[in-house]
Amino acid sequence: MALATGGYALSSEEKRRVEPKQHLSMIYDQTKCVGCAECESACHSVNLVPAAQNRMIIQDRTDPDNVKARRFVRVSCQQCEEAPCVAVCPTAACHKDSLLDVVTMNGDDCIGCAYCIVACPYDVRFINEETNMAENCDFCLETRLKKGLQPGCVEACKYDALVFGDMNDPKSTISRILSIKDTVRQRPELGTKPSLRYVPAVKQGV
Amino acid sequence: MEMMIDFTEGFSHGHVIWGWMIGVYLVLAGMSGGALIVALVRRHYSKNKENTGLLKGAAIIGFSTIAFGMVFLVADLHRPLYFWKILINYNFTSVMSIGVAAISLYIPLTLMVFLMALEEEIKDFFQTKIKISFVHTMLTIVINILKRFRPYIEFITIFFAIVICAYTGFLISVLIRFPLLNTAVLPILFLVSGLAAGVAATRLLTAGYYRVNPSTFDEGLLHRIEWPVMFLEILLIAMLIVSLVLGNDYQKEAMAAFDVTRSQWAYLFWGGVVGVGFGVPLSLNFLFGHKVAHSSFTMYASGISTLLGVLSLRLFLLYGGQTFGIH
Repeated sequence: MALATGGYALSSEEKRRVEPKQHLSMIYDQTKCVGCAECESACHSVNLVPAAQNRMIIQDRTDPDNVKARRFVRVSCQQCEEAPCVAVCPTAACHKDSLLDVVTMNGDDCIGCAYCIVACPYDVRFINEETNMAENCDFCLETRLKKGLQPGCVEACKYDALVFGDMNDPKSTISRILSIKDTVRQRPELGTKPSLRYVPAVKQGV
Repeated sequence: MEMMIDFTEGFSHGHVIWGWMIGVYLVLAGMSGGALIVALVRRHYSKNKENTGLLKGAAIIGFSTIAFGMVFLVADLHRPLYFWKILINYNFTSVMSIGVAAISLYIPLTLMVFLMALEEEIKDFFQTKIKISFVHTMLTIVINILKRFRPYIEFITIFFAIVICAYTGFLISVLIRFPLLNTAVLPILFLVSGLAAGVAATRLLTAGYYRVNPSTFDEGLLHRIEWPVMFLEILLIAMLIVSLVLGNDYQKEAMAAFDVTRSQWAYLFWGGVVGVGFGVPLSLNFLFGHKVAHSSFTMYASGISTLLGVLSLRLFLLYGGQTFGIH
């Protein structure tokens, strides 16, 4: 094999680098979410997050003047392409995974300075009170993604309110949904290029 | 289009993440840089190349405050025992990393300036007070080598003193969630208020020395420089406020930090920064006549008030800034 290609065959590692990178992302569909918070429980059990803390939550955003139209929203790491947390981390403990390009942590190098916590404009990072290391939703990178599984919250959602996949792959479910549904990002004006996409519920009543 | 879907909860739960220890560190770093900038620039433009009281005082403050500041910086970490990771992993998009690199050069420089400025005292100490001839010989050799490069060492120290003052501003001005901090004036405001703190600390420390060794010029310099520095500080704070008042909705909302009806930190600003920091020195020096203005009480009271004012400014910006972020 090496002979046939003059020694220029790409290893699988090199191929990954040459081929267009994945852009892993998630859609949160407000029209489908009922606020059951089973995603939160799944996240806790998969990622062993301390009981008093969260990597993701579902916030109730129901308008008190219109309680019949229940509204929820997912609060979690927006997986920014221009992530301020990655930019400010003095030890590069907060980084993008070299293979899957997901913002994640190398806890061993984290000194707990909390610079990433204050730098995140979405306030969705925290210092784990048990490990004293900073943490964020990294789509269950180590606990599930690298085993070929979907993030815990996505699997736990019974209402298909969460869709996870590669936005750079035109055949993926997430790309197909994005091509037909209107979605928004959280505060894109901040210049962080957030990856998460939200389908807003706009219908107010009959 | 108004935001159709957004969230207002965050994982800080409204808590201030960077607290008083960072604030104290910011003051100490500014004080160190400010004191050395004034003393070394003065020495550079002066024919008098002796070790003056001003230089000695500034050298003591320059080295000790930045070294003491490190204690707070490390103590504020959630994993303080792993602080050394910051020295072996560099990320040059991080202001903190750049700052650590600068501090790693700055602290040895302040130590060199300290050794040269207090040469006689240090040698004397190891010759008469604690007689360790080995240490005395070693120090003499080291100081003699240093003195051959003295002008260069002092010039580089001035440069890094400015860098240290300014970096403490950049450190928190990159935080885009907090409009009060995310402004262009913060680094220069921290440089100027660092000068104010450095001058005040040097004056307090050298007051006793000048009573024994009067030097009207140096002592007068510290007094004369006080007012232009304070004027600049007030100007920069005014610019910061104007940019928020005339800014976008996020910036207008952050102005709540100054409003006593909405923010407990507003008392720190109006009482600590304006009242104590500016009001006390100004009124003692200009309101009650010549006798009060030239009393030693006024000298000590103004110096301490200035330091408290600078501390209040850093704490107000940290706490007020983090309380009124965008959400």
